[in-house]
Amino acid sequence: MTIGLLNHPEMHFGAITFFAKQHKEDMCGSNGLPLTPNSIIIYGRAQMLKAIKSPYLCQYLDIIRGKHERTIVVSQYCGTPLSNIVENQDQSIDEIKHIVYQILQGLNELHTRNIVHRNLSTENILCQDNNVKLFNYGLYHLTDNGKLVSFPIIQLLYAAPEIYLDGIQHNHTNPKVDIWAVGMILAELVLHKRFWSTLKLGHRIRKVLSLLQSNTSVFERIAREHNCYEDYMKVPEDIKEIIEICLNINVDQRPTCGELLQKGVFNQQKTDKISEKKSLCEPFEIFTIHEFYHWWQLAGGDIFQELKKQGLIRSSPPILSLPQLVLIEGGLLGQDRNPATLFDPRIVEMPLASLYQRFENIPFTAFYPLIQIKSDIISRLEPPPYDATGLPLIIKERDPEYQFHRVILLRRLLHGYPFTRELIVREAEKDIPPLLRGEIWAALLHVKGDYKSHYMKIDKYSITPTDRQIEVDIPRCHQYNELLSSTDGHQKLKRILKAWVCKNSNYVYWQGLDSLTAPFLYLNFNDEAKAFACLSAFIPKYLHKFFLKDNSAVIEEYLAKFSQLIAFHDPVLANHLYEINFYPQLFAIPWFLTLFSHVFPLYKILHLWDKVLLGNSSYSLHIGLSVLTQLRDRLLNAGFNECILLFSDLPEVDIEKSVYLSTDTFKTTPTSITAREHENCEFQERDKYDISGVTLEDLKRERYPRISANDIVSLVRSNPEKMCMVDIRNMTQYNRCSVIGSINIPFSSVSFSDNNIENIGQHSQLLKETNNKVVVVIGDEETDMELFPTFLLKCNVKKVCVLHGGFNILLSVTPTILVSHSHNI
Amino acid sequence: MEKEETDKPTHNKIKMNLEDIIKEWETVMHDEIAEYAEHRVASDEELFATAYHKMVHSPALETMLQLEHMYSRTVGQKTDEKKRLVQELSERQSHEMNDAVDRLDKDMTESKINELVAEHYEAHSFLQGKLTSELDTIKEAQRREYREWLMQMLEQNQTNSSIPTPNSPLTPHEIIIPNQVFDRGLSDTPILEESFTIHLGSQLKQMHNIRILSANVMDLCEVKDNKLFSEPTPQLLQTALALYSNDLSGLVLLADNKIGSRMIEDFQDICQKSTEFHFPHIEDQLTKISDIAQKFLKKEQKNLNRSHSELLQPGDFYITRHSNLSQVHVIFHMVSDDSLRGCDINSRHPVVLGLRNILKTACSNDITSLTIPLLLQYEMTEEMTISWCEKRAELVFKCVKGFMIEMASWGGSDLKNLQFMLPQGISNQVFHSLTEMLPRIFKVSNPKVLK
Repeated sequence: MTIGLLNHPEMHFGAITFFAKQHKEDMCGSNGLPLTPNSIIIYGRAQMLKAIKSPYLCQYLDIIRGKHERTIVVSQYCGTPLSNIVENQDQSIDEIKHIVYQILQGLNELHTRNIVHRNLSTENILCQDNNVKLFNYGLYHLTDNGKLVSFPIIQLLYAAPEIYLDGIQHNHTNPKVDIWAVGMILAELVLHKRFWSTLKLGHRIRKVLSLLQSNTSVFERIAREHNCYEDYMKVPEDIKEIIEICLNINVDQRPTCGELLQKGVFNQQKTDKISEKKSLCEPFEIFTIHEFYHWWQLAGGDIFQELKKQGLIRSSPPILSLPQLVLIEGGLLGQDRNPATLFDPRIVEMPLASLYQRFENIPFTAFYPLIQIKSDIISRLEPPPYDATGLPLIIKERDPEYQFHRVILLRRLLHGYPFTRELIVREAEKDIPPLLRGEIWAALLHVKGDYKSHYMKIDKYSITPTDRQIEVDIPRCHQYNELLSSTDGHQKLKRILKAWVCKNSNYVYWQGLDSLTAPFLYLNFNDEAKAFACLSAFIPKYLHKFFLKDNSAVIEEYLAKFSQLIAFHDPVLANHLYEINFYPQLFAIPWFLTLFSHVFPLYKILHLWDKVLLGNSSYSLHIGLSVLTQLRDRLLNAGFNECILLFSDLPEVDIEKSVYLSTDTFKTTPTSITAREHENCEFQERDKYDISGVTLEDLKRERYPRISANDIVSLVRSNPEKMCMVDIRNMTQYNRCSVIGSINIPFSSVSFSDNNIENIGQHSQLLKETNNKVVVVIGDEETDMELFPTFLLKCNVKKVCVLHGGFNILLSVTPTILVSHSHNI
Repeated sequence: MEKEETDKPTHNKIKMNLEDIIKEWETVMHDEIAEYAEHRVASDEELFATAYHKMVHSPALETMLQLEHMYSRTVGQKTDEKKRLVQELSERQSHEMNDAVDRLDKDMTESKINELVAEHYEAHSFLQGKLTSELDTIKEAQRREYREWLMQMLEQNQTNSSIPTPNSPLTPHEIIIPNQVFDRGLSDTPILEESFTIHLGSQLKQMHNIRILSANVMDLCEVKDNKLFSEPTPQLLQTALALYSNDLSGLVLLADNKIGSRMIEDFQDICQKSTEFHFPHIEDQLTKISDIAQKFLKKEQKNLNRSHSELLQPGDFYITRHSNLSQVHVIFHMVSDDSLRGCDINSRHPVVLGLRNILKTACSNDITSLTIPLLLQYEMTEEMTISWCEKRAELVFKCVKGFMIEMASWGGSDLKNLQFMLPQGISNQVFHSLTEMLPRIFKVSNPKVLK
């Protein structure tokens, strides 16, 4: 049953492959940077094809780059080529009409997007139960009108005469060439004959060109040449007319797709179509061919391997095809053209058996997961859910069954967005399936439905003073990635950045904004507006005020908080860094300004941000801490110079470990520890028991963080065993009134002359082994609030913090957490 | 009447044009599309390559290498003999000549001595010619025999699925058990070498291995034959396995602007020490390259701004292929000139640009190991002071780093191993100052500490 759903006649795909043209000789562009390889340009141009969805077009699924400019295009491939049924005499006129109508629909879809097919032939039209889909229609577009490949993109017989006349170098093609091809195909269909099929290459071209000189109707002439004048006479007039106007020598007089579709001949098809269109909106598909292809790959499908099997990727030993002489100008002499690099237009269909086999045991119900409520009876009937918990993330992402369940579920949830946002967040906490990451991120960032029109309204083209800097930064931004280094990628990134600058006039473009945009663009390459919407939602939440023209106060505060967070969790490291004067200012600014997107490669950023998006703006402090934790041993043994060298080029960081460590510290750190003045209050509500009014000066001086009364209250109430409160007021005050469970170490009783924890007397043992308890220092105006916590920090006591506002703030909060000892005495 | 006259030529013109157009399309289809291209059968070279690659990755490997080794010993012995005979003749002749000169005042005249010189010369070149042609005949026979044997082996291999222990056409006639192991290295100066793992790229890091070593560059080519062993040297195994793979190994040698001139004579001698079973012999390769160069340079004389239009220029390089060298398959013969001895060359120097082309060629032809002269010289000369060496090394390091970064975007194969070669006998001090320089220019990977 399951296989039945997967084994859909339209769920089939195939691949073609070709080589992009190699750049000759000069390898530098006008900006002094290396030229973008043609295969990368193609890679970028082809992306938009993946987004075209039409019942008359095979969907593009993937573009793969191999070595030495090899390009592979994967696309849906279902049905049999029209060429197989051309000679079938049983085809009725109505059936033929139906076929041509669908071809025109498909072409119309392309032409409205300014894509010229130019490769139309009966081989490229696939039929399946009377349904017609065009295949390989994007080749001319993705090769930039043939400029990026060395072979001509042409179908000998179906090419309009003007294509031949314009010559090989010409590459501005009118969409009308496709109309000519439709005319030829229709003519073949009604005459049940393949034209000039036995002729040789040159003669075929000659035949097409000879049509230029015909004085009578082109169609009639073709019919006479094939000895089927009688058949010609039998063709209904309205069809004849269509063929005639399509095969018009004069390009201008040839009709457009739209005009042809209006013709009376297709009235029947049009009414059929209207009756089909009953539903108000598109029905929800539980999965599409994109997901299907993704699972196929996870289940071990290998495009390269299949192409190799069919002989489309042949490898001859490189030592046999070396050039013999290379001149300083770059010219290669004595190198023969490797025949394996010629264009072979064959299509290789991909076998699906392994996927079917792998998914054999998936129950039917798995395709329709219940989301909101599930009764016990149903749960009992179902097999236990596929269990992948505990596996490393990277394994989970490559597990076909697991990804199957995740994708099915999350697609459904995304379909219900925004109403299902809570559920999406809950699922995202487990993990985010890579295939849907772009959409899930948008949901996590509250991207609204009208993001497209918002983006459309923004001026992305006027020249601004920041353009120059943007131009400089873009060709240096994550260029190892094929999408971001493609020409289309550069243009899109530029538009998004300009849109952001334009929209945020209170902010400026700081270098690093490009890196910050990169992950969003990478995930939403075919939806620029969404990438922009994500960026626009991301910055206020996580990098509020970071892009002010003078952002020093914001950054300084952030870095000071970072130092305090290190001290809170790792006093030993903090003390070491403090002693060698190695401050976060020296290394961490790009970390936080770009939220690590300038530091790590994309694949690591994705995993990191999966968690960032679930946290708040202080999460990145915890990531910073986790990076330091991973380098801890080396930092502790290094002096200032070594540290600078170490961070000038950050060593490999295990990102899964970082995610784990930072999530852990994020959860165990009271929120007020990382609270900042410059936080965006939209996301952080504050009252008088939260921290406020701390000057930057104070903040930079204090090496330990402050904690808010709110956090104290909630900790005392919920987890008193996880904290250790040290009241440093004098004993009288302490006895009169103090927090439940607090200990008293009067400030005046301690000698701070050396960093020895024993100095504090009877409670020293307690502070020596705090067992990860939060150590809160409570004082009041009369006590020095700095010396004591600094002393604890120097003695390497973990999790030291100071109550903001002193003891007295608690008096007004709630008397229930206070106790008086005076009775006991 | 008039009208017809004007019409006709245009009509013809269109016709003419149409024919041109058809021709043009036809050619491009022939050249670019597999369907219309001429059906080409696999060449001998390709067939043999496939056969060899298959057999060398089978249990037959050992026999093959053994056989190649025995062949090379035969050639080696013959070459030694040739050397000895020529030497003897020379000695005898100079003896005779001395005699004759001594008797000049007695029964010898000047014309008689001249006759004797001519006679000697003739005898010398006769002997040389005879021995060379004998050697060539042996090599040719070996090559034929070897290739036939290999194809036969493959056939047998395909008929019985289980691979039989192949029989070599020669039986080892002597098996000497060596009584002392490896005396090599005692006579050689100790090799100075140091290896690094570096990475390039700021976010995504690409790893490469780099080695600096000081040695005689010909050690990479010459197969050191220990007379006591009848076993082939182990390096050959690696070289043979990779010959038709996508991991070739290349070496940059320096040459002058005449193809096959004296400057690469040493190298040619090494190539000729054994039979080349796969590629044309070195002289033939060079002749072919020379032909190509002449043809091209004469034709393009006007188009290129070349000073000596018929000679190669610094920065040009030619490529030879080899299967009988110890550690390399591909040699880049880079044309250089005396300007390299100076101390003021910069990154626009033709040889440096040529180096970039070499890296590009390596990248697009799956040459993944490459050896480059770090000082752009293989011999020590007087000019090479410490500061000269440091300056030159810094230039080459920096340029090569730049080229490698560029290479990453070319979409070819990665350069996995890069060797920087220093002349033999360079002082320890210079060597260490250069190995210290490398981590300052390349980012050296930090070791991963396992806990």
